[in-house]
Amino acid sequence: MSNRIFRAALGGVTVLFSGLLIWSILSLVFMPERSEIVESAFSEEMIYSVKLSLLTSFLSVFIVMILAIAIGYVLARFHFPGHHLLRTIVDLPMAFPELVLGLCLLLLLGHGPLGDFLKGMGINVVFSKFAIVVAQVFTAAPYAIRVVYGTFRGISPRYELVARSLGCSHMKAFFRVSVPMARGGLFAAAVIAFARCMGCFGTVLILAGGTRMYTETLPITLYLNISYGNLAMAMTSGIILITISLGAIIVFELLNREVVL
Amino acid sequence: MDILTVKDLSVDLGEFSLRKVSFGVPEGSYCCLLGASGAGKSILLETIMGGFSPKHGKVFLRGEDVTNLPPEKRKLGIVYQDYMLFPHLDVFNNIAFGLKEKSLKKTEIHESVLDISKNLHIDGLLHRNISTLSGGEQQRVALARALITKPEILLMDEAFSALDLSSREKMRQLVRSTVRDLGITVLHVTHDSEDVWALADKVAVIHDGALLQSGTPDEVFQCPKPGYVAGLVGARNILAGTITESDHICNSTIKCKGEYFYSAGSKYMEKDQEILFSVRPEDIMVAREPMAVSSRNQMEMNIEGVEKRGPLVWLSGRKGELELHAVVTASSYEELELDINTNVVFIFKARAVQILEQDTSGIPMKAGIPDYVT
Repeated sequence: MSNRIFRAALGGVTVLFSGLLIWSILSLVFMPERSEIVESAFSEEMIYSVKLSLLTSFLSVFIVMILAIAIGYVLARFHFPGHHLLRTIVDLPMAFPELVLGLCLLLLLGHGPLGDFLKGMGINVVFSKFAIVVAQVFTAAPYAIRVVYGTFRGISPRYELVARSLGCSHMKAFFRVSVPMARGGLFAAAVIAFARCMGCFGTVLILAGGTRMYTETLPITLYLNISYGNLAMAMTSGIILITISLGAIIVFELLNREVVL
Repeated sequence: MDILTVKDLSVDLGEFSLRKVSFGVPEGSYCCLLGASGAGKSILLETIMGGFSPKHGKVFLRGEDVTNLPPEKRKLGIVYQDYMLFPHLDVFNNIAFGLKEKSLKKTEIHESVLDISKNLHIDGLLHRNISTLSGGEQQRVALARALITKPEILLMDEAFSALDLSSREKMRQLVRSTVRDLGITVLHVTHDSEDVWALADKVAVIHDGALLQSGTPDEVFQCPKPGYVAGLVGARNILAGTITESDHICNSTIKCKGEYFYSAGSKYMEKDQEILFSVRPEDIMVAREPMAVSSRNQMEMNIEGVEKRGPLVWLSGRKGELELHAVVTASSYEELELDINTNVVFIFKARAVQILEQDTSGIPMKAGIPDYVT
């Protein structure tokens, strides 16, 4: 009897939470009028926002993947003093609230020595479109690094040693053996990074500012329009974000089955 | 001449270390490194390969110091137990991998792959995906991939351990004939003494990161060093005794537990010296009665233990405090009508009595028998 109650309690909690989650998502999709959604989706502001989000996200994913492949490989293959510390540092932004991460970047790139140095070279990062990319990279990189690290850890270093015994340099063994063997995990990392970049809000808001039709990505559109009371625009940007995230999660799950996190 | 020389090699990996390992591998020979799991065999092999940097010591290839050379400059091939075939390439491209690095013409690569594939009977598999191959087929592809670049030495890490018995036997024959034909030196690490018997010209025993004994298989298996080596090679009948007589041509009489053993040609001993000696079970002939034969050792024993292992039967014979083990075939066991409590005679030549250690101090003993003896 106690076993049945235990199982029923577990099942109940699972069903209740899943139900609420699905209900909340469906309420976003079904509550507004369809004509309002279509009108909002093709508005100038929404088209600008989608274009900017996609452009910055693709650019950020490209940068994130270069960082993730390098750092993930170093963490998976090399043992050195401070290895655990580096892993913790790289993971830190995942634990930070996005607003705090944005503030840290604002201090670094605004009036900090690095910001002054960049300004001296004519590069103004903060409150620019470039700041969106910086914010997205710092937000998404830890997730991608984690997936890439798990992928490389799952590939025996002996494959590379065999390749090197056959005449490859370390770099060639990396590109001819390790990278092709890791392609599933690398693609999964890119997908999860893309989803994080598209949904990045707090860091972008602080570092790039939420300027309408300038640094306005989809989450900023949602935020600005909810502030103005324009519910249809906010919901449309929410639906677009959820559709992209859902697609990314499905692709990630399909590709990530063999990745050890 | 040794093609490979390892001198005082020490590797520190934190949780495990190799300790001052030294040995040589003669050119054209088949050498086995024998040891249990965790002995440090693979680390030694990968250090020779260039995968680990030694803390101390040197690796010489044809007399040249290669300790600090990267793996790609050492001209060594490696074959692993779990094959390590590249899963994103088909069989042909796995085998051709090393040749593509040498920027050979496509026709040359194709011919070389075809040649080695025919030798190893995998020419029908060239366009197959790696995941569709059996263990034996994958191992032959791994061997072809390593041999096609004509390495100076082929390193094999437990290469047959993942195979079933019949594939293992076939692979041993194939490897032996192929490396002989190509004149390639082999260093093969294994925990299986059958690999040593079937393949090796030379064997070295490694345990806990240190090399304990090396020599020909006969030397190591017939006269294992007391302790770990004796246990690893399955030595039984290792006994402690006292020399009662000895002459200048190394004939000795040994007293052990009230019985006298005659030993010939082993080592020169002083009278009254305490020693360890062994008689290999397979050197003991079992008869129902004493026989007029040239073997000088004949001992009447009572069988007190029988252990059937496939085609062989292990017998434990006892006379007073003395216990000896012998092995007979199952058919001999039936024909001689042997069983527990049967009285038999153990007959063995004086040359079968091998003196192992002239100093028994420091060897832990239990009832007059070293406590590592199984």
